[in-house]
Amino acid sequence: MKTGTLILAMTISLMSLANDGKYLEVMNKNIEAVYKGQTIEELQQAVNTLNRVADAEKTKWEPYYYSAFGSVMMANREKDAIKKDGYLDLALVAVEKAKAINENESEIIAMEGFIHMIRLTVDPATRGQQYSGMAMQNFGKAIELNPENPRALSLLAQMQFGTARFFNSPATEACGTVTKALEKFETFKSENPLAPVWGKGMTEALKKNCQ
Amino acid sequence: MSLITVSVLAQTKISGLVKDAKGEVLPGVNVLIKNSYDGTSSGVDGSFSFVTEEKGKQAIVATFIGYKTFEQEVDLSSKELQFSIQLREEINQLDAVVISAGSFTAGEEKRRTILKAIDIATTAGATADIAGALNTLPGTQKVGESGRLFVRGGDGNEARTFIDGMAVLDAYGPAAPNTPSRGRFLPFMFKGTSFSTGGYSAEYGQALSSALVLNSKDKAEMNQTDIGQLSVGADVAHTQVWEKASWTGKVQYTDIRPYFGLINQRVDWKTPPVAVEGSTAFRQMVGKGLIKFFGNFNRSSFSLYNHDILDSDIKQQFDLVNNYRYGNLSYQTALNSSWDLRSGVSYTLNQNNVKLDDVPMNEIEKGIHAKSVLEHSISDRVEVRFGGEVIDRNYEVSRVDLVSNQTQTQSFHEAITASFAEVEMYASKQLVAKIGGRYEYNSLSLQSTVDPRISLAYKPSKKGQFSFAYGNFRQSPKNQYLRNNNQLASEQAEHYILNYQIINDRKTFRIEGYYKRYSDLVKFTNGDPFLMTNSGKGYAKGIELFWRDSQTIKNVDYWFSYSYLDTKRDYLNYPSAAVPTFASSHNFSIVYKHFVKAIKSQLGFTYSYSSGRPYFNPNLASEKFQSERTPSYQDLSANVSYLPKNWLIIYVSCTNLTGRDNVFGYEYSAQPNSNGEYVSQGVRQPASRFLFMGVLITLSKNKSINQLPNL
Repeated sequence: MKTGTLILAMTISLMSLANDGKYLEVMNKNIEAVYKGQTIEELQQAVNTLNRVADAEKTKWEPYYYSAFGSVMMANREKDAIKKDGYLDLALVAVEKAKAINENESEIIAMEGFIHMIRLTVDPATRGQQYSGMAMQNFGKAIELNPENPRALSLLAQMQFGTARFFNSPATEACGTVTKALEKFETFKSENPLAPVWGKGMTEALKKNCQ
Repeated sequence: MSLITVSVLAQTKISGLVKDAKGEVLPGVNVLIKNSYDGTSSGVDGSFSFVTEEKGKQAIVATFIGYKTFEQEVDLSSKELQFSIQLREEINQLDAVVISAGSFTAGEEKRRTILKAIDIATTAGATADIAGALNTLPGTQKVGESGRLFVRGGDGNEARTFIDGMAVLDAYGPAAPNTPSRGRFLPFMFKGTSFSTGGYSAEYGQALSSALVLNSKDKAEMNQTDIGQLSVGADVAHTQVWEKASWTGKVQYTDIRPYFGLINQRVDWKTPPVAVEGSTAFRQMVGKGLIKFFGNFNRSSFSLYNHDILDSDIKQQFDLVNNYRYGNLSYQTALNSSWDLRSGVSYTLNQNNVKLDDVPMNEIEKGIHAKSVLEHSISDRVEVRFGGEVIDRNYEVSRVDLVSNQTQTQSFHEAITASFAEVEMYASKQLVAKIGGRYEYNSLSLQSTVDPRISLAYKPSKKGQFSFAYGNFRQSPKNQYLRNNNQLASEQAEHYILNYQIINDRKTFRIEGYYKRYSDLVKFTNGDPFLMTNSGKGYAKGIELFWRDSQTIKNVDYWFSYSYLDTKRDYLNYPSAAVPTFASSHNFSIVYKHFVKAIKSQLGFTYSYSSGRPYFNPNLASEKFQSERTPSYQDLSANVSYLPKNWLIIYVSCTNLTGRDNVFGYEYSAQPNSNGEYVSQGVRQPASRFLFMGVLITLSKNKSINQLPNL
C-alpha cells in the first residue's frame, strides 16, 4: 500500500514534470517561430498555438506576451491600415490578459508601449499626439519597474529618434538611450527560462544613426 | 500490487473545413479544444486536422480575426470526427458600412473619417474657431457678418451645439451688431466632432437644420502647463493628472484694444471688446465609468457708436456687458457587457446688459438640460438606444420705456420634455439601417408631437457607399418672437437627404443632395411684428460636392467643397416667398495645408467664395422684394505654425489677404432723404483684414507633447 502510494505520487510528479516539459517545449518552439517568422501565415500559426497554450494554462503571462509579440509582427508586415489596426487590437487584448496575471512585469508594460508605437505609425498626423504620449508613459513605467530591461530602453530610444526627426533637432538624447540599451543587453539576466531576449538587432540598427 | 501503468489514452482525430458565410475557405483559423493545447491552424485551403487525447464532452472552438468566435460541444468518444465550421463575420466599426447622410465626423477613432480632429483646429481663416473651420465644408453658407453656422438655407439659430450630449443654449460669444461672434468653446477641448447638416439622430432635438455634436476629451494623461501670449490677450492653463482623475483649469484675458489701436477698424469703438474667461474640466474614473465636469464663465464687454446713415454726425452709443456661465456634468459607464448608460445635466446662464444711449435693456436666459440615455447591444448586429430628457428655460427681457419711464418686462418659462428611441441594425457589413422616433411635449405651446428619423447606408463595393436619411425636426421660435407671443408653436423642417461617398486611406469623394420643407415658420400678420402666427413656410434644396486628397502631393493635404443652394421662405415680414438674406446660391472653399520640414512649419491657405446675397431695398416696389444681390464674397486667408522646439509654437494668421472690400448686405436709412430715396450703407467687415499672432508654450515633463492640436 505504501509503495503503491509512493509510485502513484512519483507517477503524478513525473506526469506534471512531463507537462511542464511539454509546456516549455511548445513555448520554446513557438517563441522561436514569432522571433523568426517571415510571413503573416507563419506568424498566424505561432500566435494561434500560443493563444491555445495561454487559454489552457490560465496562470502564465508568457504565452499571452508572445502572442501579443507575434500579433505586432503581423501588424508590421500588413500593408492595409484597417487590417493593421485589427492585429494591433488583438495584440492589445493579449497584453491586457497578461497584465491581469502579472501587473508589475516590466516586459509586459514595454510590450503595451510597443503596440502604441506601431499604432502611431498607421496615421502619424492624426495619432502622433495621443499615442506618443501613451507610449512614452509605458516605457517610463517599464524602466521604473526594471531599470535593467534593455527592450524598454530600446523602444524609448526609437520614440526619441522619431521626435528628434520631426523637429529636426539633434538626436543626442536618443543616442544616449541607445548606448544605455546596448549596455543592458550585454548584462541582462533572468531566472525565467522563457524571458524575452529580442531586440538587440533592432537596437544595433538604431545605433547607426549616431556617429 | 499491480504497477500503475500510464495507459495509452484513446485518441480522436478531428478534421474538417472552415468556411465563411459566403462559402469561401478561411486559412489561418485557430481550431482547438477549449482549455487544451490541442488544436491547429487551418491551411490555405481551409482544411484542418489534429489529434487530441481529451475525452468525453468537450467544446470545439474556432477563432479568427474579423469573425465571431465559433463554439460547439462535441462528444470525443469515437476515433475520428469530421467537422464543418462556418464562421460569421463580426461587424466591427473599422470597415463596416456607416450611415453618413448629412454628417461629417472627425475624431481620433480608428474609423476612416472625412475629417480629423486636428483639422478643426488647423484650417486657415478659422483662427481656431470651430464654426469657422466647419464653414469650409459643404452645406454651410458664409454669413461673414455673423460668424455663426448657417446650414443649408437655415438661419444661424437653426444649428445647435451639444457637448457630451448636453445642449448649449448659447454657443457663441457676444458680438456687436454686424460684427462676427466667435464660438465659446475651443477645438482643443474635444476629442471628437460630429457635424450634421441634416437628418441627425432622434437623440437630438430643438434644431431645425443642424446638430453640432462635440465630445470632450476623456481623462488627461500628462501633467502640463500651457501659456499663450496672443496679439489679443493671454491665457494660462494647467493640467494635473492622478491615477484615476485629471483636472484642467484655464484662465484667459482678451483685450482687443491694443490691436485695434494698430489696425484701422470700420467700427467706431468707444471701448473695444475686453473679456475675462475661466474654464475648468475635471474627470474622475469611477468603476468602469467616467464622470466629466466642465465649467466655464465669461464676462465680455464693449461699447461702440452707431452712426446714422443719412447724417453720420448723429450717433447712438451701444454698450454691451455679457455674463455667461456654463456647467456640464456627465456620467457614462458600461452597466454590463451589453448595456451602457450616458447621463448628464447642463446649466446655461446668458445675460446681456445692453444700453442704447444709456437706456438700459437687459436680457437673461437660464436653462437646465437633464438627459439619460441607455444603449443596449442585443447582438453584434443590433443595437437599441433610448432615453429621456427635460430642457427647462427661463427667459426675461426688460427695457425702460422712454415715454413713461417705466420698466417693461416680458418673460416666459418653457419646459420641453422629450423621449426618444432608435434601433440600429446591421444586416451585414454592407447594409445598415437606423430607425427612430422622438416624442416632445412643449409646456408653452401645449403641443405633444412625435417625429420620425430614418437613415440607412449601403456599401455595394469595398470603397463606395450610398446613404439616405429622412426626418422631421422641430424647434421653438427665437426668443425675440416667443417673448411677444408665448403660444407660438414650434417651427418644423422635414429633411430628405441622399449621398454617395468613397473614402480611401488618403482620398475622399462625396456628393450629396437634399430637400428640406419648412413649415410653421413665424410670420407677422400684415407686417405687424407684434401679431405673429405660425403660418410661414419655405423650402431649401441643393447639391453638394466634397473632395479631399492628402496623398497626391507630398506633405500636402487639401480639400475642396462646393454647395449649391436653392431656397425661398415666406416668413416674418416677407410680403411673399423670397430668398432670405443669409442665403447665397453658390458657396465654395478650397483648403490647403502643407507641412514644410525645412522650415519646421505648417502652412495653410483657405480660399472661400460665396455668390451674392439678397438684400431688402426699400426703394423698390414690394414685387421686387429681395431681388437685388450683393457682390460676391471672396476671401483668401493664410496661417503659419512655426515649431522651433517641441514645446514652443509661433502662430501667425491673416484673413482676407487681398484686402477685398466684401459687402454682406445693405442697410438703409430709417427715413428717406430729401430726394425721397432711402440711402444705403454696406454691411462690411469690421476691418479689411484680421491679423492674429500667438506664442504658445507647453511646459511638461514629457517633452514630446506641445500645443499643436490646440491650434
